[in-house]
Amino acid sequence: MHRATSTGQRLYFRVAKNVGCMLLSFRTTMRLLTHNMLTSHVKGVTNGYPLKLQAENIKVMSVDFNPEFVARMIPKLEWQALVQAAESIGHLGDLPRELVPEYESNEEFLKMAHHVLMEVEVIEGNLECPETGRKFPIKNGIPNMLLNEDEV
Amino acid sequence: MAAPMNQESGDVKTKLSKSERKAQKKQIKARQTLLRHEGINTSREVTKHLVVANAGMSNGVHREELWRLFETHGDLLDIVMVTGKPYAFVSYNDDQSAAAAFAVFNGRMLKSPQELQQPNVTFYLNYIDEVPSQRAAGLDLPPGLRLVEDFISPACAARLMEGLGWSNEQQQHTDAEQALRHRRVKHYGYEFRYDNNNVDKDKPLPGGLPDWCSPVIDKMMSEGHIKHRPDQITVNQYQPGQGIPPHVDTHSAFEDEISSLSLGGQTVMDFKHPSGKRVPVVLPARSLLVMSGEARYLWTHGIIPRKMDPVPVQGQEESMTLARREVRTSFTLRKIRHTPCDCKYPSQCDSQLQKTGASLPRSEGEAAQLEQQHVHQVYEDIASHFSSTRHSPWPRVVDFLKTQPIGALVVDVGCGNGKYLGANKDVYSLGNDRSCGLAEICRDRQLEVFVCDALSVPIRTGAVDAAISIAVIHHFCTQERRLKAVKELARLLKPGGKALIYVWAFEQEYKNVKSNYLKDSKEHQNDDVRDKSSTISDDIRGATSPDSGQSDSVQEQQGAGLPVHVNRTSFKTQDMLVPWHLRDGAKKQQKDCRPASP
Repeated sequence: MHRATSTGQRLYFRVAKNVGCMLLSFRTTMRLLTHNMLTSHVKGVTNGYPLKLQAENIKVMSVDFNPEFVARMIPKLEWQALVQAAESIGHLGDLPRELVPEYESNEEFLKMAHHVLMEVEVIEGNLECPETGRKFPIKNGIPNMLLNEDEV
Repeated sequence: MAAPMNQESGDVKTKLSKSERKAQKKQIKARQTLLRHEGINTSREVTKHLVVANAGMSNGVHREELWRLFETHGDLLDIVMVTGKPYAFVSYNDDQSAAAAFAVFNGRMLKSPQELQQPNVTFYLNYIDEVPSQRAAGLDLPPGLRLVEDFISPACAARLMEGLGWSNEQQQHTDAEQALRHRRVKHYGYEFRYDNNNVDKDKPLPGGLPDWCSPVIDKMMSEGHIKHRPDQITVNQYQPGQGIPPHVDTHSAFEDEISSLSLGGQTVMDFKHPSGKRVPVVLPARSLLVMSGEARYLWTHGIIPRKMDPVPVQGQEESMTLARREVRTSFTLRKIRHTPCDCKYPSQCDSQLQKTGASLPRSEGEAAQLEQQHVHQVYEDIASHFSSTRHSPWPRVVDFLKTQPIGALVVDVGCGNGKYLGANKDVYSLGNDRSCGLAEICRDRQLEVFVCDALSVPIRTGAVDAAISIAVIHHFCTQERRLKAVKELARLLKPGGKALIYVWAFEQEYKNVKSNYLKDSKEHQNDDVRDKSSTISDDIRGATSPDSGQSDSVQEQQGAGLPVHVNRTSFKTQDMLVPWHLRDGAKKQQKDCRPASP
């Protein structure tokens, strides 16, 4: 069993390294950074944020780490929503529940944030409106946020 | 180890050489293909008739060449060729001649150019009991089409050419004379405008119709071929290999009868019914063709650009041969129409399509319904085709995106195939589109995307640094909804954030300079907007409607009560449907993008 797994992994990395374009069809997911921006927009809803995340299929992918990018992104986030979402799908890891002071220069922290924001991706699942319970499905990595006529 | 090979291969008498075996294999294959694809039963016995694979019209073989080859081997009776087929039928008066030809030609590569013009051609022959009757030949002419052969004398034709004054050397082109990509053109009476396929009815050309045309027009009238005296003539000169895309002459521009007089070489004009029925009509030199009624209003006509035409052999209508084209000069004679067209073919009639008038939606529900039918469903149908024609980002949009600093959050509302989502690698780009098909294309490109309507974008208020909406908002069919889309875009921006919006302009001319959209019409489309292969509107994303060229889809447009835009012409009204022309062969996708059930 162990051998089979390690061979599989090695093969996977070779594909990733040598045939970069092959990866295009592998990534069919929604990132947690995107989730952090999304809100329920059902008519009449006042507390539509954050959307409850239910993931049936998650993928963790390696993405180049850019500390400046992450540091500048953090003030735009709703940190608690990110922590909740990551926790609900079991990928919080060691990410602090509260923003640490001077995180801009804390590379270890930025790396953890980077991982949660950019590398954890939901392929299949649901986004649920916290107020109405309306579920927006994520299929093949694409959230369908279309509303019915009576919801707009 | 020295065991003998099997019995058969050891039998010297039946052993065939490698090339003989190959020829036999190919011959059997040809026999099977004929049966399977053409329903032609070949015979194992020797007969008088042969079917010769690789000797067909689609192989570029001439009937004369075949005749020369096969007549040397016996009493040749007939050769029948069928348009578009890779074989020919050769009939002798007796079995022996057929057998002799079989022995000479089957499986042997013909010597080029002594035997056959084309190099590397090998015939494979099979016997058949009889030559199948060619139902394809002898098609009835489209209703309303009349062909008068030898309408004018050679002397009369010469006088017309002299009057035209086109010698072989190139002349300076005057205003009413242009060299279109496909052919040389000159107008009399009124100039025919290729940008809108119409004439300026209040701007007749000075001089009217030339006197040297009068005898021909008099003859057309007195012999009763036409009822209305033409007042507009367009002369086209086609070099071999040139053609004209299939089209219906604009209904509102001309009266019922449209005449075409052919001088010089003959050609084949293709008539096509919206059902797909095709009738090729040979136009001999000095013949007069009159299109009226259904042939004028409903069928398209065009000339395929090629150097040779399959034509019936003189006196044997069921047998075809190839005829080389020569320079042909055609006089198209038409009468300008001064009242809207009231023909019986509304599906092709610009007057009647316009007459339905603009009935804009009266309620939100109607507006949403109109957009669902004429925008959303269209994009689902054309997603992949749309994407394949939209690969170049507009530079000014890219410039705007590049001004965003590292770590900026950018949303593209109506992102289409996502061509702007990767324009600045330092920012986080989030795209959305109403079309599931387009969202999937983005997803496959590793872009972050979700499906939503631009009127209600599920992003936190004030969350993004920048937003773009490129060629999207003109799809909304009421001013209210367009305004709502702009407000929704602004809602997403953080204080001080920036948005860039592009929409289609009603005005397509600025300081007397035409936009690329109008200019391209000359390059891409020399004649008619209905030529599907050449009317991909490059950037129009108006309220699109796919035009399959079928009457039913046109009627669907008509039902919406909005005028239909003619691609690559000026916009006539503020609100109109803009057809999306799928390139021939592009497949419609069947997809439906619906909200998930709550």
